Amino acid sequence: MSEFILNVIHRPEMVPEYSATVTGHGKEEDIGNKKLLTESLDIFKTQQRLAHENGLKTTIQMTYASLFNEEAIQLAKDDHETYGDEIALSLLGLPCEQFREKYKTKDFCIWMFSMEDKKRIVDDVFGKFYEIFGFYPESTGSYYLDADLISYIKTAYPSVKCAVATCWEEGPKAYHTCNNSWYTLFDGGPWAPWIPSKQNTHAPAANREEDSGIVAIPHLSRDLLACYDGNGSNFGTHPQNVLRGMIYDSKTWEYPYLYNLIDQYRAQEKYNNGYAYNMMFVGPGWMNKMGRWEAPYELLEKSYSDGCKYYGQLKREGKLIDMTMSEFADYYRQKKSYTEPECALWRDILYGSDKQLFWYTDPYMRVGVNMDQGGAIVDLRPYAAKLRWEVGIGTKHVQDASYPFLIQEKYRAGYFTHYAGEGTVRSAKLCYQGEEVDLCLCRTKAHFSREGNTRVLTLDPVTIEFSDLTVQLQTKEFFEEGSGSVKIERTILSMSDPAAEVELNEYMVACYGTTEYPEDMTGILLTCEGETKKSIVYEYKCREESLADASVVSAVVPPIETKVSMTQTGGGTGYVREGYAFSPMFTLGFKKKVTDKEVYATWLNLERAN
Amino acid sequence: MAQSGKGKLNYRCPSCFMRDLDIDMFYDKEKGEYYCLRCQFTGTEEEVLAGNEMVRTKYKAMRKRFTKFDFD
Repeated sequence: MSEFILNVIHRPEMVPEYSATVTGHGKEEDIGNKKLLTESLDIFKTQQRLAHENGLKTTIQMTYASLFNEEAIQLAKDDHETYGDEIALSLLGLPCEQFREKYKTKDFCIWMFSMEDKKRIVDDVFGKFYEIFGFYPESTGSYYLDADLISYIKTAYPSVKCAVATCWEEGPKAYHTCNNSWYTLFDGGPWAPWIPSKQNTHAPAANREEDSGIVAIPHLSRDLLACYDGNGSNFGTHPQNVLRGMIYDSKTWEYPYLYNLIDQYRAQEKYNNGYAYNMMFVGPGWMNKMGRWEAPYELLEKSYSDGCKYYGQLKREGKLIDMTMSEFADYYRQKKSYTEPECALWRDILYGSDKQLFWYTDPYMRVGVNMDQGGAIVDLRPYAAKLRWEVGIGTKHVQDASYPFLIQEKYRAGYFTHYAGEGTVRSAKLCYQGEEVDLCLCRTKAHFSREGNTRVLTLDPVTIEFSDLTVQLQTKEFFEEGSGSVKIERTILSMSDPAAEVELNEYMVACYGTTEYPEDMTGILLTCEGETKKSIVYEYKCREESLADASVVSAVVPPIETKVSMTQTGGGTGYVREGYAFSPMFTLGFKKKVTDKEVYATWLNLERAN
Repeated sequence: MAQSGKGKLNYRCPSCFMRDLDIDMFYDKEKGEYYCLRCQFTGTEEEVLAGNEMVRTKYKAMRKRFTKFDFD
């Protein structure tokens, strides 16, 4: 039986984000402005009404500011009584006169404070909540919660079992979209609920020892193709985000994309044991009475109303289960095991292409596979390292909370580069009599299946045309639960000359980083191992080593405590290649002569380096 | 020349939007035009709205309702 779960979350944010730039333009800042407070509360009431009218229960995430407002408190109590809404506590919405006076800062993102201040603020906010409601919340959240913060909250307030803990691919792209002024840098996390590890929020726990004690949910359910290549804040289950992206007919005010997005998430149950998930969480600033950018209030209100209506319709049809966050945490703990991956086979629903991606997340890796590039891996996050990455003032990463990549086709090119050098990608090349074809240029489609604990992607065969040889090749990719490996198998289905021999070059070009800009590669250790061992310590010298019938080729990347390697079924020559300053990459690979009907497999393996 | 302000709605620069930048525009009431602080775009409200329609051309499937999400 398939189950599509929905969390609708509202927060009475008394001083909404954007109020200073929209409502307050041309006025001196006044966060105690009574008109602003009244309007913010009105928006919250409207959101609650629209959800309830459509039979949906909500999670009310009280903000610090709202804990000083009698009306907001009473509304939460009443809606809890009447509709079963959960009263929870958000770490968003900190700004208010009381907060400014106490903490003497305009910072408002909880993960960016010093650890000392995080603890002070959490104690203050949770204490105030207890004082008012007589219990501690079971759910909390922000746009991001770092591992140390989650750990503190769980230790001090063990009732907490669910939290909004990241926003998928909200990183440099969002920063750029906001004219380099919006510092939410947290790429590289899961897109669907997960159990964060104690070491790193983005990396799921592999077992009970690593379990942070909470179920995390993403802030919004975002388009897994559009967000990867564009501003994430245009393509999510946030109706006003869809308006922000101008993805509506300006004459009819219709936005089928919003419903397509919800429905594509519903379709993910096929790949996740009959379970799919959606989250809608719209801050009051997005339903500003003055309108938001070119969208008037009437359109903002209509879009939220329509979003609630569609979810309500699905519920009435028995196709959706609405839950509060804490109810969802209990459901998730029952439904999922630590090692069960989250999978998404995702197609373009906006730009009119047939482009298809596959996303896979488990405690050891997050992988993005692009069928428009022959099934190449175009994004790779080595969760196996469980990298400890402290965030906030006083740490090395004041703002940057992204989980580092080894491969990221947008930030470090992919197949295509300008003039010189290479971009990050895991693909293969076929070489024959001086001609070379990369599978990145063979567009295809994938089909999902499951064999025991292994998820399998079977790609439609592709044809490679050399000047006097045609080769038909099929790729299958295997994701074995808990292994930290991806097996890629190529089968030569046919050759126009059955006696021909073609060189198959299985390769991975990688580096590390969290942004578009290169990091120092010095000291990365590249090794070929077999009967002997050959190594290169990275010095940008463009060197290469190879070893016939190598068993493993590997790279140890000290700054992210990661070892990545490739292994093979046998018979290939392993090689490692150092880059140079204009191409700060490394390459691992195997070259193997293959013939008609031959099957050759390689594995990409991730582990913690120490 | 008096300072510029926001218009009746808070239009973004269509040229910047096309390169994934959300930049609020300001309105010069003397010239009757919106202008971008970051790039060189200037335009009347009509021109801004026309620019917004151009933005949408990249969304070829924007009006399509999908019922199938795989290629099986």
